[in-house]
Amino acid sequence: MEFKSSHECSVGVELELQILNSRDFNLARDAADLIGLLEKNSHPGLIKPEITESMVELNTSVHRNHDSMVSELRQIRDAMVTAAERLNVRIAGGGSHPFHNWSDRRIYPTERFKRLLDVYGYLAKQFTIFGQHVHVGCPGGDDAMYLIHMLARYVPHFIALSASSPFQEGQDTAYQSSRLNTVNAFPLSGHAPFVQSWSEFVAYIDKMRGFGIIESLKDIYWDIRPKPEYGTVEVRVFDTPLTVERAALLAAYVQSLACYLLAERPHMPSPDIYLVYSHNRFQACRYGLAGNLVDAHTQHSVGLREDVLATLRRIERHAAELGNGAALQALAADIETGRSDARWLRETYKRYNSFNDVVRLQSDLWMGRAAESP
Amino acid sequence: MTYLDFLPQLPFPANPLALFGLLLLAGLIGGELVKRLLHLPRITGYVLMGMLLGASGSGLLDDKLIAEARIFVDIALGLVLFELGRRLDVTWLKKDRWLLATGVLESALSFAFMYFALVYFDVKPLFAAVAAAIGVSTSPAVVMLVSQELRAEGQVTERALNLVAINSVIAFVLMTMLLSGVHHEYQAGWITVALHPMYMLAGSLALGYAACMLALLLARWLCKSAERHLVLLLALVAVTVGAARMLELSVLLALLALGVMVRNLDRRHDLMAVDTGRVGQLFFVVLFVIGGASLQLSEMAAGGGLALVYILARFAGKSIGVLSLTHFSGVRAGSAGLLCIALTPMSSTALVMVQGTADLYPEFGVKLSAIVLSAVLILELLGPIAVQFALKQAGETNEEKQQ
Repeated sequence: MEFKSSHECSVGVELELQILNSRDFNLARDAADLIGLLEKNSHPGLIKPEITESMVELNTSVHRNHDSMVSELRQIRDAMVTAAERLNVRIAGGGSHPFHNWSDRRIYPTERFKRLLDVYGYLAKQFTIFGQHVHVGCPGGDDAMYLIHMLARYVPHFIALSASSPFQEGQDTAYQSSRLNTVNAFPLSGHAPFVQSWSEFVAYIDKMRGFGIIESLKDIYWDIRPKPEYGTVEVRVFDTPLTVERAALLAAYVQSLACYLLAERPHMPSPDIYLVYSHNRFQACRYGLAGNLVDAHTQHSVGLREDVLATLRRIERHAAELGNGAALQALAADIETGRSDARWLRETYKRYNSFNDVVRLQSDLWMGRAAESP
Repeated sequence: MTYLDFLPQLPFPANPLALFGLLLLAGLIGGELVKRLLHLPRITGYVLMGMLLGASGSGLLDDKLIAEARIFVDIALGLVLFELGRRLDVTWLKKDRWLLATGVLESALSFAFMYFALVYFDVKPLFAAVAAAIGVSTSPAVVMLVSQELRAEGQVTERALNLVAINSVIAFVLMTMLLSGVHHEYQAGWITVALHPMYMLAGSLALGYAACMLALLLARWLCKSAERHLVLLLALVAVTVGAARMLELSVLLALLALGVMVRNLDRRHDLMAVDTGRVGQLFFVVLFVIGGASLQLSEMAAGGGLALVYILARFAGKSIGVLSLTHFSGVRAGSAGLLCIALTPMSSTALVMVQGTADLYPEFGVKLSAIVLSAVLILELLGPIAVQFALKQAGETNEEKQQ
């Protein structure tokens, strides 16, 4: 297993999206038709199936900064919207569908997804949740391992900034991101083992393979994992935001942060990060930016909001060099004003008192049809 | 005077409620047997049970009892057409013009094929035209109910339902236009020839529109509550069916119009997309049992050969229409063929369209039955099976797909 070197701090995004019917805005089952139709028309990026027929995943190509990322995301989105309209379905962001029932979901008929249903039973269908993955390029495997253990501290940031799954099965879960609770049920979820070099990591994977627990890295659902064939570190804790613009901002944040970490190497990796990991992660899921974070490096507890703002200031120079300055300012402005996707969803529900309307407006937002305020 | 005067007298007077319950039980048992033993759609079982009880079988369900059950049939039809109307999405037809084009073409071709086939076999042009107009429509009830039973979702299901809505509207407009011809044939005054079809068309649309406005107004006032909206819709369906009967309008068109309008005129999204299907289920069973009871095997002898020609012409027209245009909508390969199969069903609900005319001119009704009823008989039994096959092949039912 060789780590393919890639351009340091390049970035790519995957977004899992909801396919909705336009009748009551429940999840639909048109992934195959949608993907088939998109294959016939040229568009940038890739569109792929996901585990159930109600999901579709878009992949961007590799980018160096926010501006090119957001413009490609918009192009892919527009292509998807055009195709969706011909099939009379809608597309939406958001980490969870507010009222669908997992038992109505059907597995996308490929060999791999069928096997997941065999192995995981109902969890496979409950896995109809929607995340954003951000890939950051690394020059080598050892750098990737360093980055993984460093980014682990910032996982609560990513969760809180993207949280957009307050509702499940027609109920307010009280969480900002309820999506990760579903991920937690999988035996191979969690975080990477504390190994610091690529060779140690390969040894670990070989051992797991020897035990017959995994076949490949694909079977592992860690929050952050290396992707050696791309030469990237993949951050997988984001809920899919409500707009592609927000998705691009989050990608810019990870990219700038990674760039800062790799360039300045501010700390030595410490196994302590994984002692506080679950606590911090839970705080972010439950309370969003209002939660607290225990910093394993300083052993202090800080407010998540303040910590994110402080981090944004700390990485400012690297962000500016990448051309992400304006993007991170926009992100900071949202934090200052308390704007978040989870909050937007709750306010929309409060105003309309109907989950159907929430999803309708949520898809208007993603499809670029509506102004942002509910 | 005897001491036992309080006992009921034989024969018992027919009681609509008992009749409803018994029809429901009969249908339930028939549907379950067919499902378990033959793995066919329950609807086929309802129809078979109807045939066993009706004129073709034991004769227990005679014309008088069928007339008693009319109210339940009306409610069922009202619900089906309302639901079908709600599936017709004008926004979609604007975004995918090929779908609308497919609907128009398959309707036009099937009409032309049936008409010329019948005329070729020496059926009088007016009768041939009326029979062809009836054949244009696919049975909304069968397609709706089979898709509901299988909990089917996807492009084939949605497109089939929209095509059914389109061809039902076209069939109705054709029928209303032909009504003038029928009036003329039976020497009605020219005022009748001109005004009756207009009254039917405009009146039914106006009724649907009025009910729709009432629905939207009340929905806004009731706020978002699925339960209250369900009651609201059921109430309005019942009122509209009743009003259409009282005003001698078309139940079919009024309810279809109501469905289309509540879906497409509700710009503020006041009305929730509640599912009336579960309540409707009760009436749908009765609808098909009565439908089966009205079928007469003896008609087969009279119209058997011609019916076969009629069915084949209809299938050919619809298929050529669907196959030539569906490709442009960009759906999966193979969907077009399945859509052709899904459009097969024809049911006695189609006859509701001529019922008005037949009531006015009984002789006309008899002549028409000879042509159409045998086709209905065959397709009422085969239709649900065809739809089930198409939706299963499309992989759109609630079963997990096999690799």
